[in-house]
Amino acid sequence: MPSTAKVQGEIPSLEDLIERHRDKPGGLLAILEAAQEAERLRYLSEDSLRHIARRMGIPLAELYSVATFYSFFNLKPQGLHTIVVCRGTACHTRGSRELLDAALSLLGIAEFREDEETSATTADGFASIRTVACFGQCALAPVVMIDGAIKSRMTVGKLASAIERLRKGGVA
Amino acid sequence: MNEPIVLTIDGREIAVPAGSGLLEACAAAGARVPTLCHLEGISSNASCGICVVEVEGARALVRACVTAAQAGMRVQTASERVMRARRAIVELLLANHPADCLLCVRNGSCELQAIAETLGPRKRRFSPTRPQGYADATSPGIVRDPAKCILCGRCVAVCRETQTVAAIHFAGRGARTRVASFMDRGLAESPCVQCGQCSVVCPTGAITERDDTQAVSAALADPSLFVVVQTAPAIRASLGEALGLEPGALVTGRMIAALRRLGFDRVFDTQFAADLTIMEEGSELLERLEHGGALPMITSCSPGWINFIETFYPALLPHLSSCKSPQQMFGAIAKTYYADKAGIAPESMRVVSIMPCTAKKGEAARLGMNSACTWWRDKGHTSPGYPDVDWALTTRELARMIRAAGIDMAALPEEDFDDPLGLSTGAATIFGTTGGVMEAALRTVCERLNGAPLPTLEFTPLRGVTGIKEALVAAGGRELQVAVAHTLGNARILLESIARGDSPYAFIEVMSCPGGCVGGGGQPFRQRETHRGDPGLEARKRALYREDERLGIRKSHENKAVAALYDEFLGTPLGTLSHKLLHTNYAPREGGSGS
Repeated sequence: MPSTAKVQGEIPSLEDLIERHRDKPGGLLAILEAAQEAERLRYLSEDSLRHIARRMGIPLAELYSVATFYSFFNLKPQGLHTIVVCRGTACHTRGSRELLDAALSLLGIAEFREDEETSATTADGFASIRTVACFGQCALAPVVMIDGAIKSRMTVGKLASAIERLRKGGVA
Repeated sequence: MNEPIVLTIDGREIAVPAGSGLLEACAAAGARVPTLCHLEGISSNASCGICVVEVEGARALVRACVTAAQAGMRVQTASERVMRARRAIVELLLANHPADCLLCVRNGSCELQAIAETLGPRKRRFSPTRPQGYADATSPGIVRDPAKCILCGRCVAVCRETQTVAAIHFAGRGARTRVASFMDRGLAESPCVQCGQCSVVCPTGAITERDDTQAVSAALADPSLFVVVQTAPAIRASLGEALGLEPGALVTGRMIAALRRLGFDRVFDTQFAADLTIMEEGSELLERLEHGGALPMITSCSPGWINFIETFYPALLPHLSSCKSPQQMFGAIAKTYYADKAGIAPESMRVVSIMPCTAKKGEAARLGMNSACTWWRDKGHTSPGYPDVDWALTTRELARMIRAAGIDMAALPEEDFDDPLGLSTGAATIFGTTGGVMEAALRTVCERLNGAPLPTLEFTPLRGVTGIKEALVAAGGRELQVAVAHTLGNARILLESIARGDSPYAFIEVMSCPGGCVGGGGQPFRQRETHRGDPGLEARKRALYREDERLGIRKSHENKAVAALYDEFLGTPLGTLSHKLLHTNYAPREGGSGS
């Protein structure tokens, strides 16, 4: 689900979170999550990282270490829609590599090196593609998540239609 | 309370103090367990895995660096199982390490190379799994090449824990794990202070000083240039070590001879400028004590420290002495007073300094470090701009030049520095160790305030290895409370106290590196094999104190060449010309966060 679906006020503000979590171990993750959600393009901008580092008294390199460790955090602006292709063993044996390649080619993303990047986004900001090690839905393999909704027993055809619906402004 | 415990290592019973680590216990038993990541005194993150040993009853091999020695433990440090595991770990490290040892500056001093040689995988079984990354040459002092990084984490640990700078950290995970500064930008955009401690602890060629030896060689080969060299105090106590002599070998005379053989036109001493620094800094302290000014006053000789306070505590900059470091005072005097006196065109003079330090490279390139050029222009000279100091080489770089030229240190005669910028005192010699600048300053300031010579010149409370030392000194009917800090982590503690307003001191000495300049970021790599403390640093320090005692003149204000410089040229300390040539100012620096 795109973050715009979240109502303002439903999540506490970044400043509240920083106040609340400053001195708690692990509090940083909640703060980074809130910062990412607060950003229209769902990523941690350099400005917000600098702001958090200053407010929390954490060195920038250390904050960057945390932000780059978790694949949940994006350091680059994300597309309006997110397609996550499961690359776990079950999904792989049932063709997730083809699904990933199809998604990339349908969206016009020239290159995505799975081992070097966590996500790739179309030049027009329409959609981002990510991979995940396993959704835990192996019985339904191959699995793809589109804007937060799990789509089971995915095929290239079903994926193409889903992307087409997104392009027309609908729901996948 | 520290009852020794007894354990068995390689079949031999050994007693060690309770609380000892297994690595130390093995060392005490005469077993050299190798490691590529452990660092004495800094928490180990057990990343390399080379130090595995077999402990009876334990299911898996254990990493000796993070295991406590326990009574009754039975340990095997070199069993077949241990050796097989170590060899496999080395093979995996080599999979992602370029095989260009022949072209690497650490060829011969690389810890990975040494371990590969002894453990002996003789071919590559595994292909690379990691992206290579880009070399970072943005910093004036430090070059990083992530391709050679084995992710041991020593650099991250010293930067964060010893220096509290935290310019670098691990980023990413899995095959993408790397050591990076914020946003993977160059060090120049990070809070890095260029202290170079990372380059001293790096086991491979992943972090090195910027190599300026070729530029210096080219200048030496150019007959139209007059090239002078200055040597920092700490070099004479460490250069020998880099050339195969024992730690603490004092090589002053042979170092001078080697520099002459390399082709330097004059061999001068930074210690001359250290005495000059005491004249200026001592006067500045007296001035602040008597007529007001920010107290405590803090020394300004260590460029990593200057970068640190400019980055993290810009509000406290008024506490810094306005004195340039001895390196920069030397450059300014060499290209004005000396050039004029010797009839050398300043634009064709090159000043090379030999420093125990990587940050000195950045200091030489600082804005405003061209006072000589400005002075000559004021006198009507026109020429393209030139810096006061052209190149700063580390001890390691000089050692490479000496080896490359085939100069045999052992066969060299003892020679003397050239006049007049080669004359110095014992006070200047001890600038190279923690507490030394303070002691040198007190020898002059106390004598001035008391109006009589000091009964003893040794300020023993200032000579230890404690991180922060303090002393109460009687001078001129008052008591001066002084403090000395080495490492930036300790400096931070004193700065926090100044920021809170409860610092009791009048004068503080700060050196960026552990042990002061003897432990500088440009110093020879130390033997780590034994895990028995660090005899190297201690030996270098003792060598400097020996040299101080040996010298007849031990107080900066008794340096005749410095006195002549004031008579013939500068006038008085803190005078107009001093301010133009020997003092500087500081400005907040980008890169800090959280403070």
